[in-house]
Amino acid sequence: MSERDSPQTPEGGTPIAAADPVYLADPVLDATVRMVVELAAQVWVERERRITIEQLLEARGLLSRADIEAFKPDASQAAALKAERSRFLEDVFKELRRIPLKS
Amino acid sequence: MSAQREVVPETMPTLASRTDAAYLDFVEGFREYLLGAGANFEARLNAALESAGVQDLEDIRRYVHAQPLGQLRDRLSRTQQEMKWHALRRSFDLQRKELAAELAAWDARGPGRLVLDPAFVPPPYVNVHFHLQPGGYYKDELSGFLYHYGTKVFFRGGNDRDELHGKLVSLVPPPSDGRVARVLDMACSVGQSTTAFKKRYPAAEVTGIDYSAPMLRVAHRRAAMLGEDVTFAQTLIERTGFPDAHFDITFAFIVFHELPLRIIHETVREAARVTRKGGLFAVFDFTSTADKSPFQRYHRWFDARHNGEPYSQDFCDCDLRSILESNGFTVAGTPLDERSGGAGYMTHWFATRV
Repeated sequence: MSERDSPQTPEGGTPIAAADPVYLADPVLDATVRMVVELAAQVWVERERRITIEQLLEARGLLSRADIEAFKPDASQAAALKAERSRFLEDVFKELRRIPLKS
Repeated sequence: MSAQREVVPETMPTLASRTDAAYLDFVEGFREYLLGAGANFEARLNAALESAGVQDLEDIRRYVHAQPLGQLRDRLSRTQQEMKWHALRRSFDLQRKELAAELAAWDARGPGRLVLDPAFVPPPYVNVHFHLQPGGYYKDELSGFLYHYGTKVFFRGGNDRDELHGKLVSLVPPPSDGRVARVLDMACSVGQSTTAFKKRYPAAEVTGIDYSAPMLRVAHRRAAMLGEDVTFAQTLIERTGFPDAHFDITFAFIVFHELPLRIIHETVREAARVTRKGGLFAVFDFTSTADKSPFQRYHRWFDARHNGEPYSQDFCDCDLRSILESNGFTVAGTPLDERSGGAGYMTHWFATRV
């Protein structure tokens, strides 16, 4: 494993590793681990939101589960969902760009 | 009213969305899982190192790096830190204009005073992205907000209202003659110990200094929100510009491990100059290498190289007590690790100017 130093300018001390160090035997493994952790974060974010919404809806008697199942987004809602999906994909899979080429 | 006075208001910047807050909540929990009994990395790796009898740091590193468990531990440690900054920066970027305007609105408001030096040039040694914070401590106008929220995750939500700073300040004994008219908080960052000192000594003139203008602006906003009349000034801790023997208490919280050895010596010399005879120089910082387990020594190296703490190994290797003593201090020797750090990574030096 070869590892570059950072362009930051500490005076002496321990050299700082440059961005994206590889810790595992294969950079693909590093990316895979990052994606798994990111997915766990995304799952938690969604679960936290869903629990919040369900509790609010239930407390206020505003909505039934059948309403949620039957929901069809209009054009602007669909566009907003697509933008959210892009953000989600970027969060999880941005790691793919960080796998270095073999020298 | 008097009951409300006890409640410290929330001064943490608000995130752009509930999604961001939930994401950072995950990172906070994940970090705790990695550090503690959840993943149980430290206990297992340390037991393995001790039973293998590995002593030399080079050998410790080789041993940990040869273990898939050690490799994965490093990967995950780095990842949770990167995730934190990624989420925080994105969340603040979304409200950058509003946050900048918020800072500008507080700059000239009191109580308290903000003294920035437009001609200030940061020395090269501070060009480090400490803890991987994007832009380090001073290159982003929102560096102070990033830092404050970053430490929220670091302290696992236990310091949102400066609880830790309040506790540490309460442990600092007053000088033996009891006179506390002026207090200096060196490298005050967002000013959490500065305001804690003002609460403890309401009649004293309390000053926080730092090189980072973005940190000082957040410090001033926080102090003004808390109603504390303190001064924040942009200056180097190794060259403060204050008169000789000006302060009764000089304070430095977890800054020494972020200084090159040369600056550690200069800062102690400067503290000796500005602290009056009989006054106290109180330092909280990392425990020394001699007090660390093999795994803790490994972690100090990892933190230095992979978490933007390049000076921390040299600090832990140095003898701060003898540096203090050779600059005109006597150092009280009561170990307070448990009380001062709570996690056993921190200790203190309470040095009296003779």
